[in-house]
Amino acid sequence: MLKLAARSVGRNARRSALTAAAMVIGLALLIFSRSLAEGAHEQWITSAIRIGSGHVAIQAPEYLESGKLEHRIGAVGHERALRAVESVSGDQVLAHTPRLSVDGLASSAASALPIRIEGVDPEQERAFSDLDEKVEDGRYLEPGDRLHAYVGVELARRLGLKVGTRFVLTAQSAAGDVEGQLVRVAGIFRTSIPEMDQGLIHIPIETAREWLGTPDAVTTVAVLLATSRDTDRVVSELRDALAGASDLRVLGWRQAAPELDSALRMDDYGDYVFHSILFAIVALAILNAVMMSVLGRRREFGLLQALGLTGAQTGWVVFGEGLFLTAVSGVVGMVLGFLFTWGFFRNGLDFSGLVESEGAWASAGGMVDPVIVPTFHSSQVLLSLYFILIIGTLASIYPALRASKLDVAEAMKFDR
Amino acid sequence: MASDGVWWRVAWRNLWRNRGRTLITASGLAFGYLSAVVMVGLTDGMVAELIENGTRLMMGQVQVHSAEYLPERNMHHTIGGYDGVDLEALLARLEANPDVTAAAPRLYGGGLLSSGDETKAGLLYGVDPDREQQVSTLLSRVSQGRLPVPDAYEILVGVEMARQLSLSIGAEVVVVAPASDGSMGNDLFTLVGTFETGTPAIDANYAVLPLSDLQYLMAMDPGRVHEVALTVTRAWDTPLIASGLAASLEGSGPQFEVTPWTDLRPELAEAIGLMDAVNYLIAGIIFSMAIFGVANTMLIGTFERRREFAVVRALGTTPLGVGRTVVYEGMILGAISLAVGAAITWPIVVWWHNSPPDLTSVLGGFSFSGSQWRPILRIEYSYDTPIICAVALFLTAVLAALYPAWKATRVPPADALADR
Repeated sequence: MLKLAARSVGRNARRSALTAAAMVIGLALLIFSRSLAEGAHEQWITSAIRIGSGHVAIQAPEYLESGKLEHRIGAVGHERALRAVESVSGDQVLAHTPRLSVDGLASSAASALPIRIEGVDPEQERAFSDLDEKVEDGRYLEPGDRLHAYVGVELARRLGLKVGTRFVLTAQSAAGDVEGQLVRVAGIFRTSIPEMDQGLIHIPIETAREWLGTPDAVTTVAVLLATSRDTDRVVSELRDALAGASDLRVLGWRQAAPELDSALRMDDYGDYVFHSILFAIVALAILNAVMMSVLGRRREFGLLQALGLTGAQTGWVVFGEGLFLTAVSGVVGMVLGFLFTWGFFRNGLDFSGLVESEGAWASAGGMVDPVIVPTFHSSQVLLSLYFILIIGTLASIYPALRASKLDVAEAMKFDR
Repeated sequence: MASDGVWWRVAWRNLWRNRGRTLITASGLAFGYLSAVVMVGLTDGMVAELIENGTRLMMGQVQVHSAEYLPERNMHHTIGGYDGVDLEALLARLEANPDVTAAAPRLYGGGLLSSGDETKAGLLYGVDPDREQQVSTLLSRVSQGRLPVPDAYEILVGVEMARQLSLSIGAEVVVVAPASDGSMGNDLFTLVGTFETGTPAIDANYAVLPLSDLQYLMAMDPGRVHEVALTVTRAWDTPLIASGLAASLEGSGPQFEVTPWTDLRPELAEAIGLMDAVNYLIAGIIFSMAIFGVANTMLIGTFERRREFAVVRALGTTPLGVGRTVVYEGMILGAISLAVGAAITWPIVVWWHNSPPDLTSVLGGFSFSGSQWRPILRIEYSYDTPIICAVALFLTAVLAALYPAWKATRVPPADALADR
């Protein structure tokens, strides 16, 4: 039976090739666009997360909602969180860093702007975020710095700041009073993410603690992982390790950075819609092709049945034919898509020529590097193949039914 | 040509000789049309949303500043320098321009807002409420309470800021802001309303005050404003209108700079251009996939009709005539699919446009290329998208018919008649 099906595919080489071409191109396209989307997402997540609160953030339970200093982690909690992070198995944890963050006002003689102030440990932060590499002028914070600040290029411009200029940070301290802190610009960075360039300042964590009256405190312990895929695993491992500590909450980046989460999910929805459309068109092409092959070969099927095949067996031949065609073109399409993507673009696809201003690539606190390196997920590739097979199967059912209900005499007598 | 009509009829009849095949092919094309129009419409909806939030919500289409103001936005660089200008005269002069439909003066400041227990930094936005409503849409997003009136120490803040400061309508707010004379201005205001734009960055950071109150707080004279925002008659011509305005403002007195939104938000303008390109790519992919489906079907159709073609060739038809009927078939198929596609697409698009799925409860808004996006899947329809897609669909059907048609012209009559 299988042999019959395979032969009838081979006998109509041209028709088979055309149908297969539609499927092969469809699937290859799918793999190509999927791997680019995956690659872009990973870059986007990484860029947002290294400036933000990491793949995994350990905070006080109420901090995410309130963002207030009263919901901070003390020395004991910090120590416990660090022990838990260091106990995470495997080598997934690349770096971690303490942060003491507060919203405040930055003012100079020129202007005043609301900003986010992050108190950081210069050495650990350097390993964690890539903000220190984005330096435009001056330098990043260094151990031993006291009244130094690392500011965004747009903020510097709006406040008229240069390296060495002094300006004032104002925020509500832990005691509830409004406290000012004079700092001096040590360096200016440019990330091309508008929110960051205009709204983020790094100062040494000790300075922040003293100014805000919160000795030894942190608001977040941010953890950086090798890939975002391990987030859920590390989160649950940390939750187990910190099960007894009611003053600590472990958050994955999807919770800690809801804006990034919704942007990524929105992007995913768009991809799904596009891919469903591709699949639907491929399905119609298969249905059509298999259908044609049945209607055009009434005589042949009539003959098969006259030679003793039952209706059901004829149906199986047609079904097998559809499935065979789908499977072969599915595999070919996948390999082709993979080879194409890998062969030409393994070093990244450069879109930077499309737009001039880098800010156009920024969204939700992160940014997509215009040079997109495709990423393959075996699960996703297999899923695509699986879907193609399902569609092939479904599209073959109706023609198979038609073939099985053929009236032998009628089919044979019809002479063309 | 009389015989032409015959070929059309042959094509038409042949389409219906195999009803199932024609229906599947036509529905494939119609579906392609539907998905192309919907995909492009969704992207256009997102673009409209980005422009709305990036420009109309707060910015205005054209802005007039002092020549020194941009890009630093130094608070001292008000229009006309430290002395300010005769504001009424300036507004009247701007509005006298036939391209300008409305003008609104603005003053910007940064400061701390405090409810007593809680303190938060915010952007202070001093406006003339009546004029501002003709230029931007922020003041139409009041979710609770009302707009502030001048000289009564009233203030309007975003819902998220009100939440963070635990403020309700009628509560008192202390506003502290660096003033132009180097002192710290501070005053007690009454919260009269909150606005909700759906984008966290705006709802959490902005406070709206009447222009005169903010001028007083920042120790500035009534003639001092940072910016006059304008609405113009032809939105797509903004850069041209801006340069015309700049020319008309030149001369003695204060130096002005007139900037259209495309210059204020270059990354947004570029991202929008990029999205348009992506639209064409998506439509292109959808239709090229459809070409395969159609070509496949028609090719099989022509193979089945080898004998028929051979007969008509033997009766004296030129190869061109045979090929023509296949192309006609493609054209009729395209027209049918188009009619079906349009009949399905329009109701869906109109319905979608009028009641867009609101995902606000599932997803939060996020920033995009310097603008903000709310998760409402709006569809925008213009007249060009459906027409371009229609032309693409028709071309798809005709293009797909070309190869089968060429094959049909190459049927050798004798061989085909002799033995299939």
